[in-house]
Amino acid sequence: MSNRKLPIGTRDEFGSVAQQKEQIIEQIQRYFRQRGFQKINTPLLEYREVFKPLAPQAYQPYQLLDERGDTLVLRPDLTLPVARVMSTTGIEIPMKWYYSGDIFRVKKRLSGSYNQITQAGIEIIGYASLKAEWECLTAASQLVQAMGIDDMTVELSHAQFVPRVLAALPLNELAKRNLETALYDKDLERYQQQIAPLKADPFYPFLQNWPWLFGDFKAVLAALDQLPAVPQLQSIIADLKATQQFMQAQFPAQAVTLDLSIQPPQEYYTGMVFHGFSQANASFLFSGGRYDQLLASFQQTMQPAVGLAFDVDALVERLPELTTAPATLIYFEPSQWAAATAKQKELPNSSLCLADSAAAAQRIATQKGAQLIDLSQEAAK
Amino acid sequence: MSLKIALTKGRTEKQVVPLLEAGGIDCTAIRNKGRRLIFNELPDFHFILAKGPDVLTYLNNGAVDVGIVGSDILVEQRNPQYDMLDLGVGKCRFVMASTPDFNPNQTKRKIIATKYPNITQDYFEKIGEDVEIIRIEGSVELAPLVGLADAIVDIVETGTTLKENNLRVYAELQPVSTQLVVNRIALKQKRDAVYDLIQRLQQAKQVEA
Repeated sequence: MSNRKLPIGTRDEFGSVAQQKEQIIEQIQRYFRQRGFQKINTPLLEYREVFKPLAPQAYQPYQLLDERGDTLVLRPDLTLPVARVMSTTGIEIPMKWYYSGDIFRVKKRLSGSYNQITQAGIEIIGYASLKAEWECLTAASQLVQAMGIDDMTVELSHAQFVPRVLAALPLNELAKRNLETALYDKDLERYQQQIAPLKADPFYPFLQNWPWLFGDFKAVLAALDQLPAVPQLQSIIADLKATQQFMQAQFPAQAVTLDLSIQPPQEYYTGMVFHGFSQANASFLFSGGRYDQLLASFQQTMQPAVGLAFDVDALVERLPELTTAPATLIYFEPSQWAAATAKQKELPNSSLCLADSAAAAQRIATQKGAQLIDLSQEAAK
Repeated sequence: MSLKIALTKGRTEKQVVPLLEAGGIDCTAIRNKGRRLIFNELPDFHFILAKGPDVLTYLNNGAVDVGIVGSDILVEQRNPQYDMLDLGVGKCRFVMASTPDFNPNQTKRKIIATKYPNITQDYFEKIGEDVEIIRIEGSVELAPLVGLADAIVDIVETGTTLKENNLRVYAELQPVSTQLVVNRIALKQKRDAVYDLIQRLQQAKQVEA
């Protein structure tokens, strides 16, 4: 019964989609190889505990038991396995990894979403300076441009901005948590209720517009003028400004926006966060950021870490469909094997036709809409 | 670039259209829709009409940027998008109701019939009770009357249906109203258009109030 069906949330890939996906993965991997990154592969199966730092509702994994009854999952993420490797194998830092592979996240049934997602990305471990972020952003901008996607916006953000503003507010812990949740949910009315007690506070003019503090880089920075001086924010703002200037100098055509109102993707993020989106896609083309807390769930000491992952499926979806030149089939006698192989190498988009008669070869060529080269005719002459 | 909006058809549509109009959005086409479901004549706002749960499906897949849908569906479907504005219409509430002889303190694992298993589960979890939930697709009031369930969890607006069926409210769960929900990426892609729409609707809401 079920041997002719796919499980919900999965799909087969073939033809131009499969080919484009392979090309994109290869393009990304080649780029990072050339930039001196090392390849890392981790298994599809891991103990569930590895992914404990992930927000539990966000990534429902496929689970199974091993022969001792321990819970295994199909990896829902590729960053935490790298952190596991780093904290258990004594690899010397600094280290730059690149990877590609599939992750599995069980989505709502019959919702049109897929549970198997292909990612390709990097982890830079052991560099605390902003240069590590800049290497990620350079890669993202250059690669996406090289793929021919010209409408990508890079959005910068910072995991510490919201917590540091909240810390400066004269509210109790509970009120701060409620304000934070309303801000992250962008629930405008609940948010206005939460800031109402601060009407007379110097923070109020800033707070009123906080949920809308995203978009044009300069406009968002200008809105910070309303903010009373918070010394703990200075380094964050300086880093964001420096990064924007870096992008402007290196990639003047690249649109860069700023969001100072969003929730960091995971709790272990500690610094800058970046996303890339196009006008046409319903998901981010890439996501990443600094997560110096990443190794904290595997070992006592923190290590600086920055990473970035491309959503390969989203990239493929964004690319124009592959148009291939009409195919050529080469029919030949068994004695002509070497000549046929040589011919095939010469001709783009050609393939050996393995039929055992010229008539059968012609039928296949007609069926596939391909041009047929019949080497057996030449042999007969 | 126009903003794509999915509007829940039926009652929500009737209640929201005046609000959209008060916000300066011409809804003549929707008012005279006939059997149409897609309305692309306005340059800034494109509308589609869909059933409530489908509004969320379109929104989650990025087929539309904005959804207008009841909070009952948002909560039940565990909506992951931004629920940005309460439109203040379509107000009703979730209640637990049953026949007059129902004893909520009876010591047994209650059987609850509902169209909303998640909301029901949330409520009983919150009060520390485990119940058996039976999913019913419509006319939930029947279930306690014919002995299928001990009580129901359902939406009531005025309470007339409950009274007509001789059912009493035993607990108030949560209020329900129509919400404006925005796809997380669409908010970034079309910030100014979403901002404009929300400003219009906030003003319209104030005028209505």
